[in-house]
Amino acid sequence: MRKASYYDKLQRWGYVFILPTLVFFSIFLIFPMLDSFRLSLFKWSLIGPKTFVGFKNFLKLFKGGRFQNSYLVTLHFTFLSVIIITFISFWLSVALTSRLIRFRNVLQSMIFLPVVLSMVAIAIVWQFMFQTTGLLSVIFVNIFGLNISWLTSTRTAPYSMVIVNVWRYTGYYMVMFIAGLLDIPQAYYEAARIDGAGFWGRLIYITIPSLKNTLVLVFVSCVIFSFGTFALQFVMTEGGPSRSTEVLSLLIYKEAFQYTKFGYSAAISVIYFITLLIFSVTQLRIFKSGTI
Amino acid sequence: MGISNRAKIRMIKIALYITLIVIGLVFIFPFIWMVLSSFKLNKDVLSIPIKIFPPTWNFKSYYDAFHYSDYDFPRYFLNSFIVAIFAVLLCLFLSITAGYGFAKYKFKGNNLLFTIVLSTILIPFQAIIVPLFILVRKLGMQNSYLGLIIPEGLTAFGVFLMRQFFYSVPDEVIESARIDGANELCIFWKISLPMAKTAVFALTIFHAQWVWNLLVWPLIVISTPEMRTLPQAIALFSGVYFTPYPEQLAISVGACLPTLILFLVLSKNFVQGITLTGLKR
Repeated sequence: MRKASYYDKLQRWGYVFILPTLVFFSIFLIFPMLDSFRLSLFKWSLIGPKTFVGFKNFLKLFKGGRFQNSYLVTLHFTFLSVIIITFISFWLSVALTSRLIRFRNVLQSMIFLPVVLSMVAIAIVWQFMFQTTGLLSVIFVNIFGLNISWLTSTRTAPYSMVIVNVWRYTGYYMVMFIAGLLDIPQAYYEAARIDGAGFWGRLIYITIPSLKNTLVLVFVSCVIFSFGTFALQFVMTEGGPSRSTEVLSLLIYKEAFQYTKFGYSAAISVIYFITLLIFSVTQLRIFKSGTI
Repeated sequence: MGISNRAKIRMIKIALYITLIVIGLVFIFPFIWMVLSSFKLNKDVLSIPIKIFPPTWNFKSYYDAFHYSDYDFPRYFLNSFIVAIFAVLLCLFLSITAGYGFAKYKFKGNNLLFTIVLSTILIPFQAIIVPLFILVRKLGMQNSYLGLIIPEGLTAFGVFLMRQFFYSVPDEVIESARIDGANELCIFWKISLPMAKTAVFALTIFHAQWVWNLLVWPLIVISTPEMRTLPQAIALFSGVYFTPYPEQLAISVGACLPTLILFLVLSKNFVQGITLTGLKR
């Protein structure tokens, strides 16, 4: 009896260990999150008076073309990035883990390289390559005969952003897939081979089902990353031309810190947050498989 | 049949190698171009016909980039290092202690509190920059290292990762240390912490990289030139239309070097880290 109570007392040490995190997280993550809901109901320029406007900011959002444009631009960017990155990184990981390939580490490191570079530096380099006399433009003119205005046309600029994003993150997800692939017991494949399963058979019946958890993880994390893109657009286009690359984070930043509409910007943040929340929750519901 | 099958495999092998090598080159080429172009003269960077290698090597671009009158890049490097080091230390301190507390103690509310902490993973940084800025301003941390370090040092993922790791430390080890009379802090410091080295390492690498790259927060919090971080300064520097190209590229190469060196030295840990830190912002 006495021993149990001593043991119970010991367990209270847990509070001591988690206290710093609780304090910091409450003040700097949870409170701001809740505060953004409150702020979204006000009209405020930070210096002047704060006036309560109810849901007017949200009404303005849904009426205003600028927000809708940003939302669609972000969805477009996210959708394309996720599809392309998942596709390429999956096939690269399958190719690199194939028994036919040696020098896996060298090839893997080459593809992984962009992941470790500074995002702003990447944006600057690609900005140069996208110039009219830049490397990529010249290559396209000479090889394909295509004269593409990468960053100055509203039709192509969003795709240019996707290209850079894919280049940046493919290696990251490829490594995640490779880790998942190496976890699949070789015995499965041996057995399938004995049963006469070909490459596609093994892929469909063994590889893809075994990779389910990895796929969900790649998918969710890629959506969250891409949805929050900021540096690329900020450095390369500042949202232009004609707002065709003005993603949500950029709009949140501009509305608050350039136009000093803090309440309006908070309203955008709220929509941003709710979108990702709905996405994450449905994802985890659909694939509830013990990944997290 | 046997021979043709072998020939087929060989063909596949060759095709696979060619594809992979081409893709690999595509992935490293922009970086190589960046390094080479940083040594070119201004007129050669975007000249036609294209010059891959610098016709005349211009080493002055690096010197110039670090001796600009309006941009004190050595200072920005220092700022970025200070912020990265302390933000990572804060992140490690919080993640390790909380992860250990949640994993090894059965106190009331453990699950509930952990769920609350973990759910902050769903709060995207971009979605709280406005209220966070207002808070930081109220606390008088605007335009200070502290205002950068604290918000950049928090990640629920670290807590999650460390908790998973401490689960693998056997309870018996802790119990026997208790019987020997060791107090809780001593057990944590001397026994449990050394076992979590791999996870600590992975978390360090990834968080350092995230902090080193972060652009949006410094843009908001920092208002005077001498407090700028590197990404912020580079973005401003390249936004000015008369900045010479080689200088822009030279400073970009400089910004890539710390993480690149980290990668070259610890590439195994990088890969290990990704598999551990599957879901990082």
